[in-house]
Amino acid sequence: MVFLAYLLLIGLVLGLAAVASNPSPYYAALGLVVVAGMGCGVLVGHGGTFLSLILFLIYLGGMLVVFAYSAALASEPYPESWGSWPVLLLMAGYSSLVGFFSTFVSDGWFEGSWIVVDEFSELTLFRGDVGGVALMYSLGGGILILGGWVLLLTLFVVLELTRGLSRGTLRVV
Amino acid sequence: MNPYILSVLLMGLGLGTTVTFASSHWLLAWMGLEMNTLAILPLMAQHHHPRAVEAATKYFLIQSAAAATILFAGVTNAWLSGQWEIQQISHPIPTTLMIIALFLKIGLTPLHAWLPEVIQGLDLTTGLILSTWQKLAPFALLVQVLPDMPTLLVGLGSLSVAIGGWGGLNQTQLRKVLAYSSIAHLGWMVIVLQYSTLLTVLALTMYITMTTSVFLIFKLLKSTNMNTLASSWSKAPVLTAFTPLILLSLGGLPPLSGFMPKWLIIQELTKQELGLVATLTALMALLSLFFYLRICYSLSLTSSPNNLLGLLPWRMNTKQVTLLMTTSMSLSMLLLPVSPAIFSLVSAL
Repeated sequence: MVFLAYLLLIGLVLGLAAVASNPSPYYAALGLVVVAGMGCGVLVGHGGTFLSLILFLIYLGGMLVVFAYSAALASEPYPESWGSWPVLLLMAGYSSLVGFFSTFVSDGWFEGSWIVVDEFSELTLFRGDVGGVALMYSLGGGILILGGWVLLLTLFVVLELTRGLSRGTLRVV
Repeated sequence: MNPYILSVLLMGLGLGTTVTFASSHWLLAWMGLEMNTLAILPLMAQHHHPRAVEAATKYFLIQSAAAATILFAGVTNAWLSGQWEIQQISHPIPTTLMIIALFLKIGLTPLHAWLPEVIQGLDLTTGLILSTWQKLAPFALLVQVLPDMPTLLVGLGSLSVAIGGWGGLNQTQLRKVLAYSSIAHLGWMVIVLQYSTLLTVLALTMYITMTTSVFLIFKLLKSTNMNTLASSWSKAPVLTAFTPLILLSLGGLPPLSGFMPKWLIIQELTKQELGLVATLTALMALLSLFFYLRICYSLSLTSSPNNLLGLLPWRMNTKQVTLLMTTSMSLSMLLLPVSPAIFSLVSAL
């Protein structure tokens, strides 16, 4: 189990390096898919199955798909990825950077801490992730409303920045 | 711009700073900062020419990186100490990371390189919002962090004064000059952050007053470089008479109010046995004074070659509402004798 979590985390960091090293949005988005998938696996390992499902659905199934379609609209005919030397060198560079810094902070496997975040006693069970959702709607209601307002503001900002179709500020040239 | 969307964006700007001011949790403070970043982007790109879009893109990338680092430092602090209080950030690693991220947010050396280019790409009103309003929220966080690293703060602060001075020397574009003056003034504010957050807030208040007046003066004179400034004396001869005083106030000369923060900061540094630092920083402020003087020279102290029609613009009224400009001009020139009152006003904050 610890080994699985270790694998998932290594995949996450390598996926992040792939996102950072790929100049083409296709392969960078693929790296993001890998990162999100690995992150969902880590979440499941900690007992957050609901959160992991929501992450998969909304992040990968919603936002990433929309991003992939938008990137396909502004695509390049010959995307450059790990097949070309500069990108591969960049990927190796990022991975070695992570490896170098991890030698300062690595300290063992911490098997004792790979547990789920649920709490239970005789007749009660508190699922970590679902309890968090309940808290978000009850005590955290103000922040939720603020978060919703910020999302609405982001919508207005994006619409204003792309106003004008082909005559606007950000357009296909 | 559509007035509905303009009011939504301006209210978003106001809400963002208010949320950061009112927060005691790092997540909420981060949300306020992100709101400020988002809301100002369409304002920056509203004149849809590539230079403005470039400035908006650069601003967005820099501020997002800074906000992500702020979030990272807050989360690291939560991991190490188990709580999210803004004033209880105690471990040195997240404290240092947070301070440096906030320096990136406001544009302090060595993370200042974005500020001149971004302000240069904007019109004067948006540049004014960037230089004044967008500095309030990060400073609200900086004065609450209660750092324990005088070397870092004093070192980066005096370096900022130096870089702001040297960087502005070779500029003819007024917006870049104002950006470097911003860097220098932020350096003054950060030098005393360790010793007296009251003086930091005082320096910030005085800087906001002075730079508001300068931006609005340049907007009224419709000049963005020194050449245009040289022939704009006839647009408002009264401004031609008073702008040198405002600029010298920015430079920190007595008896104008810009002297007040510098004087009190030098006094505080001397009390903390940092007399050499105070001397060096004051000498570096002379560099800034030089380019303020150059602007004065170009505007008021020299009459540049011009044809006869250049004498006439004073006959025409300006449409700009001048209330804020005149109020801030008066405050920028005359507040030194009432320094104790200003001090007590700021200490109530």
